[in-house]
Amino acid sequence: MGPSGDLQRPAAQNAGETGVTSRPPLRNILDTDPIYTSVAVDDMHDEVLLQDSNTWSIRVFNRLDNTPPNARATEPKRVISGSETDVQFNSCVYVDPKNGDIYSVENDIGDSIVVFSHDSNGNIKPLRKLKVTHRAFAMAVDEDTEELFLSVQYPPQIEVYRKMASGDEKPLRRLEGESTRLSDSHGIAIDTKNKLLFVNNWGNISDYKVAGTGRFESPSITVYPLKAGGDTPPVRVIQGPKTQLNWPGAMSINPDTRELFIANDVNSSILVFREADTGDVAPARVIKGNKTRLSNPTSVLVDTKHNELWVTNLGNSSATVYALGANGDVAPIRMIRSAPLDKVSLKFGKTQAVAYDSKREQILVPN
Amino acid sequence: MISRTMHGFAYDAIHDEIVVTSPLAQAILIFRGAANGEERPVRVIQGPHTQILGTAGGGLDKVSVDPVNNEILLPVAPGGVLVFDRAANGDVAPKRLLSGPDTQIRGMSPVAVDPANNVLIVNSGGAMLIFDRTASGNAKPKAVIRGEKSGVAAISTIQVYPEKGWVIGGCDRAPGMAGSSPAICAWSVKDNGDAAPRWKIPVQQLTGYSPSGIALDPTNKAVIMSCAGQRLRPPNGIMNAVITFSWPEIF
Repeated sequence: MGPSGDLQRPAAQNAGETGVTSRPPLRNILDTDPIYTSVAVDDMHDEVLLQDSNTWSIRVFNRLDNTPPNARATEPKRVISGSETDVQFNSCVYVDPKNGDIYSVENDIGDSIVVFSHDSNGNIKPLRKLKVTHRAFAMAVDEDTEELFLSVQYPPQIEVYRKMASGDEKPLRRLEGESTRLSDSHGIAIDTKNKLLFVNNWGNISDYKVAGTGRFESPSITVYPLKAGGDTPPVRVIQGPKTQLNWPGAMSINPDTRELFIANDVNSSILVFREADTGDVAPARVIKGNKTRLSNPTSVLVDTKHNELWVTNLGNSSATVYALGANGDVAPIRMIRSAPLDKVSLKFGKTQAVAYDSKREQILVPN
Repeated sequence: MISRTMHGFAYDAIHDEIVVTSPLAQAILIFRGAANGEERPVRVIQGPHTQILGTAGGGLDKVSVDPVNNEILLPVAPGGVLVFDRAANGDVAPKRLLSGPDTQIRGMSPVAVDPANNVLIVNSGGAMLIFDRTASGNAKPKAVIRGEKSGVAAISTIQVYPEKGWVIGGCDRAPGMAGSSPAICAWSVKDNGDAAPRWKIPVQQLTGYSPSGIALDPTNKAVIMSCAGQRLRPPNGIMNAVITFSWPEIF
């Protein structure tokens, strides 16, 4: 028995011997609540789906759920999670408005889009799985042409697949190349009425085939014809200090007003631009402030049927709902919480690395 | 400037700085140790003279610092280590490059320097490759810890504890193989061949987690591990964790 009560073999500093330590950990740092990164609304079944990157799950709630202030959390109706599901590093969720099928983009080592039927629950295999390029982030679907648009962070590109593609099926076309001005691409949105494609970019740039080509630009939104492929330049670029763009996440379009909504992660805000905006332009509206309960929003979704705007908050285990015309420091209409009201999330996305600051006795964790 | 894919980074206790890469922009960022919020780095190493190169699928995700000898070490494609002056800033050439078939370095592998024993260690191809600290070009390692008894595996970072001459890294990890139970092990930097680790923490057996990053806290005789990308999902279903073990035996 060791000095701290653990069982271990005798000290083994000699070559050929291994001293095995079997004492339990001193401390664990982990977040026991979901950390939401994406949202989809299922109008057919009046449900909302939240993508949880902490437990690698998709959680399904009633659309009108509203966690009471004194309640700890709202329990989901169904949870899709487990090794059979292939849900992992899930960064985007989409619901097919025609049949309720659930699409989930698996980022990082997931490298796929998995599709489940509406009523899926628990640790179940997906209906189909499409292998996609490493670092896929967000998707959008043109339901008229049944084309699926997928953003890939790096090398930055937009892949367009058949909506029903599966297995190793290749994209119908790719938008990529220096002229596109894509750079560390994240959010994607499409306007099928006006045939436009919107992509936001974080501005981290390099050609992986050429050493020393790295450079930084400010974040941007680049706009293309919906059918663009190859090395097509954008028709417009929104970029500059007035835009307030800062780690932009998911985007969504209101086709009726031609407004573009952006989840602006680091600024804890929702930015609203006009589709025709170009250059260094300020947003037409900004939803931001203490009343909003926004905390590192990473996803946004326009629900035109109910005139509502949905947001997922990485920083507090919640989804918040606003009127589509909301502006400034406004309280949400409803809030689905999976943790207490004052929750401050660990914001863990991928705790791959760790360092120790011995001067301040602090643990440093990148995400 | 910070983006995704920070899979290994370093705190420089002598100069109170944080060293991290921005992989998609082929850059090394150096921040004040007390940096907070949207603070700019104090130095950025980036540009055509740097020779920094990753790959389409990954890389430039790890960086190490040798504060004693004032050097920053960056694993680069297709398989090597670029060494920069620690105070370098801007578009500067590296001091040296360790790369070539004789080095046995494959891909962009974690690296650490033991300044007391004057060795540079690269965790590559299921081995600990031990070089003279200033090795460059197509140099052969002076020792290689590799083999079934050694259990050497690959995770995102390795650490050294020069005071006792340990190199600490992943072991007993073979994804998808039956009986694999990822752990953390300590070998002597003087070991060579199929040498058994001197110490081991069977992390997955004890916690359900597979470690990916390592940091040392010598003052409290502890090792801190980050855990992510769990191929074998932990029983509690939580996919990200930071776990601290007391490990007085190695300190």
